[in-house]
Amino acid sequence: MDLGLEYALPVLTDPMVIGLIVAGTVVGVVIGALPGLSSSMGVALLLPFSLYLEPIPAIALLSALYCAGTFGGSITAILINAPGAPPAVATAFDGYPMAVKGEAGRALGIAAVSSVSGGILSVIVLLFAAPLLARVAYSFGPPEYFALGVFALSMLASISGEAPLKNLIGGCLGLLIATVGIDLTTGVDRFTFGVPELYEGIQFIPVLIGLFAVTELLSQAQDLGRERIAVAVKALKLPSLDDFRRVRGAILRSSGIGIFVGVLPAEGSTMAAMIGYNEAKRWSKTPEEFGKGTIEGVAGPEAANNAATGGAMVPTLALGIPGSATAAVILGGLQVQGLRPGPYLFEEQPGLLYGIFFAMLLANVLFLFIGLAGAKVFSRISLVPRTFLWPTVFALCFVGAYGLNQSMVDVWIMIIAGLVGFVLKRNGFGPAPIIMGVVLGGLVETSLAQSMIIFEQQWTGFLASPIAMTFFALAVISLSGAQIRATLARLLSRGGRTA
Amino acid sequence: MKHHDTITGLVLLGLCAIGYWLTTDFGEVPAMLSQNVPPTFFPRLVLAVVAVLSLVLVATGIGREPEPSAPLPVAFWTTVAIIASAAVLTGLLGTLLTLGIIAVALPVAWGERRYGHIGALAVCLPAAIYLVFTLGLDVRFPAGRILDLLMQT
Repeated sequence: MDLGLEYALPVLTDPMVIGLIVAGTVVGVVIGALPGLSSSMGVALLLPFSLYLEPIPAIALLSALYCAGTFGGSITAILINAPGAPPAVATAFDGYPMAVKGEAGRALGIAAVSSVSGGILSVIVLLFAAPLLARVAYSFGPPEYFALGVFALSMLASISGEAPLKNLIGGCLGLLIATVGIDLTTGVDRFTFGVPELYEGIQFIPVLIGLFAVTELLSQAQDLGRERIAVAVKALKLPSLDDFRRVRGAILRSSGIGIFVGVLPAEGSTMAAMIGYNEAKRWSKTPEEFGKGTIEGVAGPEAANNAATGGAMVPTLALGIPGSATAAVILGGLQVQGLRPGPYLFEEQPGLLYGIFFAMLLANVLFLFIGLAGAKVFSRISLVPRTFLWPTVFALCFVGAYGLNQSMVDVWIMIIAGLVGFVLKRNGFGPAPIIMGVVLGGLVETSLAQSMIIFEQQWTGFLASPIAMTFFALAVISLSGAQIRATLARLLSRGGRTA
Repeated sequence: MKHHDTITGLVLLGLCAIGYWLTTDFGEVPAMLSQNVPPTFFPRLVLAVVAVLSLVLVATGIGREPEPSAPLPVAFWTTVAIIASAAVLTGLLGTLLTLGIIAVALPVAWGERRYGHIGALAVCLPAAIYLVFTLGLDVRFPAGRILDLLMQT
């Protein structure tokens, strides 16, 4: 198996790339540790500035931030019971009770070791699985890509499971945003309202920053009264050998779960962490201790949410289908850099791909040390007053939206996207599905248009492609998943009663 | 107050109708490209899907009460006004001065009263942005009409 070392070594011996990976890791842990700022938002905020770099250092920086940001959320989850990011919500269930009992250091140590284990295992899977999946994707034509896009959108029904219908609507709204501008196959302008700046379409970056960062800024503005109190971090210590023996099963199981959930289009770290927590509890010899401060309750979700990062990059790089919200942002970054994610990327830019793999690997090792050594500092950073943090974030949003095209229209788009995002969020629509729709919009529309030309405008042409039909079938299963689960549960409970 | 899903669904249906109406205004496709999929095809397909999903939202929302949520505080509306005015003020005062003003206005609107800290932020934030982006990355921010006028005089 070719590990691509001949491509990776020039990347990893470049001091600038190493420096950016270290910077991405530190910034990622800090952003992850700040309540309200997630790795998705961090990558979104950094994306416009990364465009000043060459593709390899830029994507290495974003990938490192993605991995470290996912871990950073656990610091505040444990120390102040305020998860820095949604994937760390499950970590707080047992991490904070441990901190209250005076075991903050032990909890952070378990979180770091579990995160690193999950992250490294997932990067190894990424290294082997992505090229294999890309090889399969060579046989994909427009009909298969359209069906894959439909499947990816259908998976929105199961992210943040509370509102599948709203997630699907959000995804469709994203697809509509992607239709703004001149239609490439006919040259007709759509939804531009005569604004010349919209002829090339709504720029991805301002929408992204608006939906993630400005929406969160407005959410913070409606919730100013909440105070956060940090638990003191006593001497930080790594898990003992006994601790490690206790959690190794949970780490391995949750890593597998995280990788699998991450590979599924649209699913991400949050769902992986919740499943990881539940499975850790189910397999535990002492499930009654969960919620009261047990190390397995920290190890399970932390291994799973970091394992999902590598998993999410598999479909992102091999197929051009994002595996999570943050992966969607990185995918958008690749597109803005003029790169075409998918199987041909492995041929055209092997250095970039192996650069990403090794950047993620290095970030995972780095945040073990940075996270543990700097946990006390990061716990203080998490207490930076919002009154100073968010004006700084807004300034970065403004500059990020403006900087790419040096156009105030992009700033207006960012502000409008933020306001719309807030209204939608207040009514139960999350930003991630909309971003997924925006990123997938071009692929879905183009592949559908090409398919219809191939099939001479006959929808029945899709029936001739077994791969496309498989993806459509998976989409139907995904859409009806909740219904199937409910029916199975009903049948099982009825069976149990009969027995 | 969070809106009832039925109302949300009805609003979305209305937006779908407006979206469909907008697609009727798309330009004519040149004859030589008419064998392609028309430009209205995909937006209308997506609008139809949103409309169907919105109908389901309307139906499932009937008889279900929304979770109550706190009314939006004054600080929220002040924040909206401040960030919207940032885009307007930039044209007049320029980006850096505007960001300095935002660095004062937002903390004050959010209840911060440590004026020394606010002043430091108002100076350091635009200065850092100027150093990193204008000097470092060569991003040219709008100087604003007032500064332009002063420069001319």
